Parts: sequence; C-alpha cells; structure tokens
Amino acid sequence: MTSSSESAPLISATSTEASAVPAASVRPKPTRAGFPIRLKHGLLRIIDLSALGFLEPIVRLCYGEEPRVQLRKIGQFVVIPVLAFAAFVGVWAILAPKHKTKSGEVPTPAVVYEAYQAIMTFHERENAKEDAYVTSGGARETLLADAKARLVVLAEDEAAAAEALAAARAAEAAAKAKAIAPLQQRLDALKAETDAAEQEREARLDAQAAAVSDAASRKAYLADLAAFRTWKDAERDRQRAVKDDIDAINRAVAPTTQEAITAQTAIAEERQYVGKLEELLGDKGRELKVAELKTRISELDTAYLSATGRDLYKTANSLLITQGRLDSLESSTYAKPSTLPYQIQRSVLCVFIGFLFGSLIAIPLGILCGLSKTFMAAMTPFIALFKPVSPIVWLPIALIVIGGFIPDPDSHWLMRWLADLPLIGVFKINPAFLASAVTVALCSLWATMVNTALGVASVDKDHINVARVLRLGFWQRLFKIVLPSALPLVFAGLRISLGVGWMVLIAAELLAGSEGIGKFVWDQFSNGASDSFAKMMVVVFVVGVIGLILDRIMIIFQRMVSFEGSVAAM
Amino acid sequence: MIVTRLLLAGLAAATGAGVLAGAETEPLDVEKNELKFGFIKLTDCAPIVIAKEKGFFTDEGLAVSVIAQPNWKTLLDNVISGELDGAHMLSGQPIAATIGFGTKAHIITAFTMDLNGNGITVSNAVWSAMQANDPKLDSATPPHPITAAALRPVVQDYISRGQKLQMGMVFPVSTHNYEIRYWLAAAGIHPGMYTAADIGGRTDAQVELSVTPPPMMPATLESGNIQGYCVGEPWNQQAVAKGIGVPVTTNYDIWKNNPEKVFGVTKAWSDANPKTMLAVTKALIKAGKWLDATDAEGKLVNREEAARILSRSDYVGADFDVIKNSMTGYFYFQKSDKRAMPDFNVFFKYHCTYPWYSDGIWFLTQMRRWGQIGEARPAEWYHETARKIYRPDIYLEAAKLLKEEGFIEDADIPWDTDGYKPATADFIDGIEYDGRDPLGYLAKHAIGNKE
Repeated sequence: MTSSSESAPLISATSTEASAVPAASVRPKPTRAGFPIRLKHGLLRIIDLSALGFLEPIVRLCYGEEPRVQLRKIGQFVVIPVLAFAAFVGVWAILAPKHKTKSGEVPTPAVVYEAYQAIMTFHERENAKEDAYVTSGGARETLLADAKARLVVLAEDEAAAAEALAAARAAEAAAKAKAIAPLQQRLDALKAETDAAEQEREARLDAQAAAVSDAASRKAYLADLAAFRTWKDAERDRQRAVKDDIDAINRAVAPTTQEAITAQTAIAEERQYVGKLEELLGDKGRELKVAELKTRISELDTAYLSATGRDLYKTANSLLITQGRLDSLESSTYAKPSTLPYQIQRSVLCVFIGFLFGSLIAIPLGILCGLSKTFMAAMTPFIALFKPVSPIVWLPIALIVIGGFIPDPDSHWLMRWLADLPLIGVFKINPAFLASAVTVALCSLWATMVNTALGVASVDKDHINVARVLRLGFWQRLFKIVLPSALPLVFAGLRISLGVGWMVLIAAELLAGSEGIGKFVWDQFSNGASDSFAKMMVVVFVVGVIGLILDRIMIIFQRMVSFEGSVAAM
Repeated sequence: MIVTRLLLAGLAAATGAGVLAGAETEPLDVEKNELKFGFIKLTDCAPIVIAKEKGFFTDEGLAVSVIAQPNWKTLLDNVISGELDGAHMLSGQPIAATIGFGTKAHIITAFTMDLNGNGITVSNAVWSAMQANDPKLDSATPPHPITAAALRPVVQDYISRGQKLQMGMVFPVSTHNYEIRYWLAAAGIHPGMYTAADIGGRTDAQVELSVTPPPMMPATLESGNIQGYCVGEPWNQQAVAKGIGVPVTTNYDIWKNNPEKVFGVTKAWSDANPKTMLAVTKALIKAGKWLDATDAEGKLVNREEAARILSRSDYVGADFDVIKNSMTGYFYFQKSDKRAMPDFNVFFKYHCTYPWYSDGIWFLTQMRRWGQIGEARPAEWYHETARKIYRPDIYLEAAKLLKEEGFIEDADIPWDTDGYKPATADFIDGIEYDGRDPLGYLAKHAIGNKE
C-alpha cells in the first residue's frame, strides 16, 4: 500500500472476502471433501483476520490438506493448550485445600463452580421475583398454587434439615469432647505440676535470698532468678501449646456438620425465596394491588356523587390521590437488586464509554503531536507526568469534578436524557458511572496518543514527496496520506488502551461504588462469608474472558486496516 | 372501628405477634415513590432491609432499592450528592456534617435505628498479655465487664520499645471511635487528641487509632497492622469464628443501651419530600417493632428470620451462623465463652427509635472532648445543634399515623417527652451523663477537653 488509492480497495477487498462466505454457500462448488473451495478461503481469511490461528489446521484438515502436517499443528496449537489448562486446574484442585488460612481454605475449582451456580441462582431468583410482581391472570394463579405447594414441601424439608444439623452438631460436640478430654487432662496435670514446682523453686529462692551475704552469692542469686524466669516462660509456652491444640480442635468444623449446615442453608434460602414469591404473586403483587385500588376508586366515585360541602372537597381530594397512586402503581416494577450479569453489562458499557472519551481526546492530540515537533514538545511534559498516575488517584478527582457539574442527579438534564435513552437507559447512568468512565479514559488514552503520534510521524518520506508533487492541500494530505498509513499503529494503540481501560475499570468501580464488576468484588470481600472467596474467583474468570473478547475485537479492527509486512500486522 | 382496632391491638400485643393483626396501612400521597437507600454491611442495617423485605415500604407505596456502600465516606457523599435518598448512618455523621467537621451539609434524622451492637476485639497476643497481667482473665469464662486496666502494661511495654499500640475504628466520627476512646480513657490510657493540625487524632496518644473499613478489620488484625479494633457485628464474631482475635468487651458494657446508627437524609430532601419522609419513617418504625417482637416468655421471635434475610449476599452477606449469634441475643467472647446478651442489638425496646436530643448531645460532647470541635462552646449551642439534626416532630407525626392505623400502641412511643433521656450512670466508669448539662458532663472526665 503506497498511496491512498490502494488503501481503499484493500479495505473493501477485505469486506468482500468476508461477505463472500454466504455468497459461496449459495453456489456451492464441489471439492474433494465436499465443501466449496471458496468457503475454505473465506474461513481462512476470517481466521487470519481474527487471529484465531489455532483453528486454521482444523479447517485445512477438513479439506484433507496434508493431514499429517495439520494433525501435528492441531496437537501443537489446540491439544497442548487444552492439556496445559487441564493441568492447571488439576494442580489448583490438589494444592488449594492444602493452603489453609484463618480466613478459610483457598477454594478448589469445584467450589468455584458451585459459587458460580450460586451467583446464577441468585440472578434467576431475582428475575423470577421481578416477573412474579407483574404476572397477572391465570398464569399468576398457577404460579401461586405452585409456590404454595412448594412451601409445604420445604417446611417439611427444613424441619428434617434442622434435625439432621442438630444430630450432626451433637455428634461433633461429643467427638470434640472426647478429643479434648485427654488434652485437658494433660493441661491440668501440667498446670498442677508447674504450680507445685514453681512454689518449691520460689521457696528455695527465698531461702537463698535470705542467705545472701557476699558479692558472689548475690551474683549466683541473680543467675538463679534468671534461670527461674526462663523456666517459667518455657512452662507457659508448654501450656500454651496444649491450649492451642485445644483451641484448634474447638475451632475446626467437622465436615459432616458443614454439610448439614450447607444443606440447611440451601433449604432455608429457597423457603425464603418461595415465601417472597408467594407474597409477590399474592396480595403484594401488582395485579391484586391494582384491583384493590380500583375497588377503592369506584367506592370513592360513588361517595363523591352524593357528597356535599366539606365532604365534597375531602372525597374529591382522596379520589385524585388514589387515582394518582393507581397510575404510578400500574407502571411500577419490582425493585430488583443488581445481579452479576447486569453488573457485567454495565461494566462493559462503562469501559466502552470511557474508551470512546479517551480515544476522542487521544487521536486528535496524537495526530497533532505527530505532525508538529513543537506541539509534541509542548505535550511531552503532560504525557510524562500523567501517564503513570494510577486510577485510584484519578477517581476521587473525577468524582469531585463530575459531582460539581451534576449537583442534583435526579433532576439534571444530562442524567434524565441518559435515563430515557432506549438501550442505555436501563443501566441507570449516574455520576459514579461517569467518574469511572472518565478514570478509564484518563488511564487508557496514553497508549493511543503515543502510538498515533508515532504512526503519524513515521509516514514514509516518499509518500510525503508524492503529496508535494501532486500539490495536495493540508487536509487532503492528512486524510489521503498521513492517516491511512498511520492507521495500523493507531489501532495497535487503541487495542492496548482498551486492555488498560478494562483493567482500570474494576478498580475504579470498586472505589466509586458504581454498580459493576468492581462493586461485586468489593461486596463479596465485605461479606466475608464462607463462599465469598470462591465468588471472587468466579470474577477472575469472568474478567479474563471478557478481556480476551475485547482484545480479539480490537485485533480484528487492527488487522482490517493493516497491510502485509507492517509492524502492526503481528 | 377504632374499638375493634384497639381490641385487636391488645390481642396481638398479648400474643406478641409484632405487627398487629387487623391493622391497615393508609398510604400517604408521597412526592417520590422510587427511592434508593444506602447501607454498610453491618447487622444494624436491619430496619432498612426488613422494611424492604417484609413489604413495609411497599405498603406505603414506596419502591425502595437498598444498595450496599463501600465505606462511610462514600455513603455520606452519595446522600449529599443526591445519588441516594437516604442511608443507614453513624450517629456522628449527621452531626459532623451539619456542624461542618468533614464534608459540610445539613443532614437530619427522624429515626434512631438501634442501640448497642459493637464490640472491641484484641489480637490473640494482646489477649495473652492481658491474661498475664490480670490472672482473673486467664479462664475460659472470665468475669465481665473487662476494663482496659489489664491493657495498660501492654501499652507501656509498646511505648518503652519506642512504638505505640495500634487499634482500628471505622470512621473519625463513628460511635466506635468514641467508644474505644471512652474504654481506653476510663482506664487512664490516652487515645490522643484531634487538633487543627492533627486531623488523625493522635496528638499525645498512648494508643494510636486509625480508620479501617469494617469488613477489613479481621484481615488487618491478622496481618498485624493493628492489635485491636472496635467495630459492629458481624466482625467481632467473625474474629472468634476464624480464631484471629478475642472480643474483650461490647459497647453494652461501656455504656448500657447507647445509641448507635440513625437513618439520615439531607434537610433539603426532607423539605422537598415531606410526605415521603413520613412514609419512610412509618415503615422503619414498623420494621423496628417487627425486629423486637417477643413471645410471652420474652424470646425474640423474628430474629432468626431476620438473620436469614441479612445473610443474603446483597445485604450483609456473612454466614448465617455468624450473624445469628448476636442477632438472636448471644455473643461469643471466646469459643468457650458464649454469653446470653438479649440486648446486644435493640431495635425498638426502650423507646430506642425515637430521635433523642440527649443522644445527639452526647456525641457533641465526645467531639468536643477529643478536640474534633476546636473551641469551647456554650451549653446553649449543644442544645440548638441537637435540635437542628434530631427531628422528633417528624417521628411523632409518623408514630401518630401508625397508632391511628393500629400498628403500634400508646406505650411504644414516648409521646410527652422533652427529648432528653433521664440522667444515667450506666457507664463502665460510672460517670453520670445528663443531656441537659453537657458542660458539666465534660468537666467530669480526667482525659480530654474539659469545657
């Protein structure tokens, strides 16, 4: 690609090749393996574009192309990574239970999977409650009957679980008492022994003190007293060791008890959930409440027709109030707490908004830096100074600045406008969200800015000369020559920026308390429940997978604007 | 109709059903029906959570979202910025915000959420040292209350090594800060003064106090950065469950039935939404009553259910077993030392939900005692400030509506009080506090500002 006239066809060629896939399937050409050959090229092109290189040998194998070479490649690029990951999970599963802290064990893969299921159960239950609140008619009655039946079963289960737990606890207590008894005996014996010995030694020391006369005996007394004190400390340590053993036994929870607790918790939680569901399907639900208000209004209507004087005002007033309440009730929904899937969506939206802000600042500034050495010199101190600043510093500043612009979020025009937007409205954008987005922007824009500047500055001299010969104006030169050749590096910068932004966002949300993955992590940490660590481990994988997807998306963009042999084509 | 209601009310009270049968909510014409309330993951957020989960807010025609906040500072900022409509607050927060210590904003409260509920925990090493200093403590069930007297030699030991014992509390104007200071000072240990230059409150300190968010306390103690802390539940029981430290005392022993959290909103919000404010207060009073409902033998009947609700991960989220201890009236001082503490958390008894002026004045005296209020003020200033923040007028209006609707009884509410609790000497050092005489109270203490 040496001029603008070549760059345009390259991009369009890419898109025609990509869109050739469906076209090819319309007119299949038989090949050896029975697949149209154009499909193969299309697939390979897509694989190459999205840097999913490990799929390439599979496609080639399907076409029977050098099976031996392809199988070796599959072994290298598919089987080996899968095995490595399996080995990682295996090592994790073996090592995790061995590392015990006072805060609990490191969760094993199985426990993390359970935590994932618990998170999803919570999500599903809240969704069910949300639906229950607004369900009406026959569907509501069926669900209500189901809930009632389930509650009866659960009440029995709960009683059984409580009994099982009591039995497990009793067994555990008996076992502990049995284990502790000899230790306690030893401790008591030790104490008695030490006390007796201590009295004896103290008496001896007293006698010695009484007999002290010369310097030598004084010295000897001092040494003896020191020895006595050391001995006492040692004795105390011996006692402490036994006490610690007893404490450790007391503290340990028997696996049978743990199981019984888990079983009981699961039932109790379900009972609570079904109980709430029953309420929401019944008289706390929208349908019945609306019906109640409607009856009330018709009563008031009748009363109003016959009311006079002071009563007239009162009845009319309550009629209007009730009518207003009915209106707001009819559009009301269940106030649902945020669940992880919602928080993930909100975080992704936040990172994209921040990334967009960042890019809108970084790309123009980067271009100016690349075009003018003077401007670059002016910008250098800012880049050097602000680039290393951590999100933890930016966030409070962003919060204060944004808070200053939006003193009353409920009535601010921007917040209202954002709340009414079709797809984005449900994410309830607030100042904390904007502050997180700005923090993402401030931390991530540097990579794009520096790369853009580099890309613009390193445009081939020949191209510039051609532009001179053609007497292109500034804008034409910028858009036809400079930008197209800088694009690959710009996108390389954008890709780094998005990765940084995603990493930074979690910390920003955690600090701002903005609903999202960061807040989920902090809430779990705050909970300190037995499954909190496992839930945080779930987030590790969620964040990792989303980061991976974002990176792939950026790679596709980057490859679409790159050309053979360029630095950024990687 | 009224007769029937009263009859039903009497019947329900006799059976202790909590919320009275036959009572019916008359929703107010609220200005705003979608509300967001913030809370910190502590069991004393219960009234807000219960009002939501038991449908008391919905009964008032309010759709309330209850959102966990990362720390007290963010919570207050969110209330001031309007991001939250109201929140579970430390008693000191509305006061400090109104007088301008920290972020300045006029915050009011018409509802005290609970009494008691905090504990002081020390590390295992400090506990062994305390046991060595006082042989009475070296037992599976030592006599309570435990004063800081046994801690004094440990403090001296640290000072002689050129260090200072470090302890954690949750916020500069938190009840916890004043309680741990009170406990230390009652045994003659100086916890340090706040000055204009030292906003960390460590001037002249023998024990240095620092702010740590509640959920971080056990981890910070375990890592050795602090040797003890004062915090609300479940973080003391958590230390016992994990074997990290030993709770030595509770704030019930420091001051019997001391006020703890309040429900705070900005004055501007309350002025703009007076009916909503009333409706919220009504729902919260009902929640308090539900939490403290007892059966004929005086057993708290709803607390186990409350503990189950609070253990949900979007509320307090700690294990049910840990929350249950203190919520159902028990407290583990050590694994071997489980004691019945029926008043560990009080949500309704003793007229505790009423916003007492005398409570506000106690916090003001503590702010003055430790130098957070920089200069001496006349007694009148204390009374006036308390009146600006504590709003029994709103509380009584809500209570009156609830009584008309048949949810509460006459005896539940101190209708005729002037807002000052009777003088009490139920403190660990026996010094009497009378809210009517703040300056006299300040003068009684040996450590801290005396006027």
